[in-house]
Amino acid sequence: MATEQLLSEIREANLSYLVLVQSLVRQDRAEAVVRLGLSEEMADILSSLTMAQILRIASSAVPICRFRFDDRVVWELLADESAQGPMRSIHASIVMASQPVEVIQ
Amino acid sequence: MSIGTMGVAAKSINAAAKSKSLVGEAHEVNRAIELIKLGARLQVLESEIDLSRGRLLRLYKEVAGVSPSKGMLPFSTDWFMTWQPNIHSSLFFNLHANVIKAAGTDRVDALIRTYRLYQEQLALCALPEVLSITRAWRLIKFFEVGMLDSARCTRCGGRFVVHKYEPVGNFVCGLCEPPARAGKTRQALDERNLSVSVHANA
Repeated sequence: MATEQLLSEIREANLSYLVLVQSLVRQDRAEAVVRLGLSEEMADILSSLTMAQILRIASSAVPICRFRFDDRVVWELLADESAQGPMRSIHASIVMASQPVEVIQ
Repeated sequence: MSIGTMGVAAKSINAAAKSKSLVGEAHEVNRAIELIKLGARLQVLESEIDLSRGRLLRLYKEVAGVSPSKGMLPFSTDWFMTWQPNIHSSLFFNLHANVIKAAGTDRVDALIRTYRLYQEQLALCALPEVLSITRAWRLIKFFEVGMLDSARCTRCGGRFVVHKYEPVGNFVCGLCEPPARAGKTRQALDERNLSVSVHANA
């Protein structure tokens, strides 16, 4: 039972991510690429998927998106709750925006 | 010059203006309006928008409701190096680099897009917009002519705006190592005192 629940949660996360990507890319491709940190190629692939394809991909047992930042600094800045709050989030934004986008290898 | 030849000259100018496509002109007008709404100074419009000065002036008055402020634009790169402006400029610069990479768009489009993202970011943090769109435009210009450059902070890995040819071997940004007086402006102090007095009254 627990496994089934886990799988359905993964499916749901996959589905909402794919739907979000598609609607962002279709609204404004350039903005979507910046916001999502995708490469242009990824944006093209994801936006061209049909609903049936999206459903099929979403229902695989693995989460299809992963963390965009694998950098300790970013997480420390984002999680910090000290008085320096706003400046910290700006710092995090700068560090995040300085990183290269995801590309297909 | 006789009145006759002046008339001919005026006619040929009219003809040149008419040969420009209406759609193209409408496009320029729209971009100008967006820039004015974001607070751009007239000099930005004059340099980026393909409309006559007279029309830009009229447009400015119509959209902004006031005459454009006179005087030169600030032209020093030093402003971008002071603590708070440097943080805002660096954020803008990084966003701009991403927008250019993603959209490969033209200058005005990229400027407007990036400025919107910048505004959005600051609204989220409830911080004031230190970098005006005119300054942001200057920033990009300074990069284009090679007066400014970016350096990676050796501690956080973020890219920050620096002077060109500044030694950046072990550069540490102003956020990883804030100067002693950073953020202690009169304004910040006033705000703090205000919140203290509010607490005292409550």
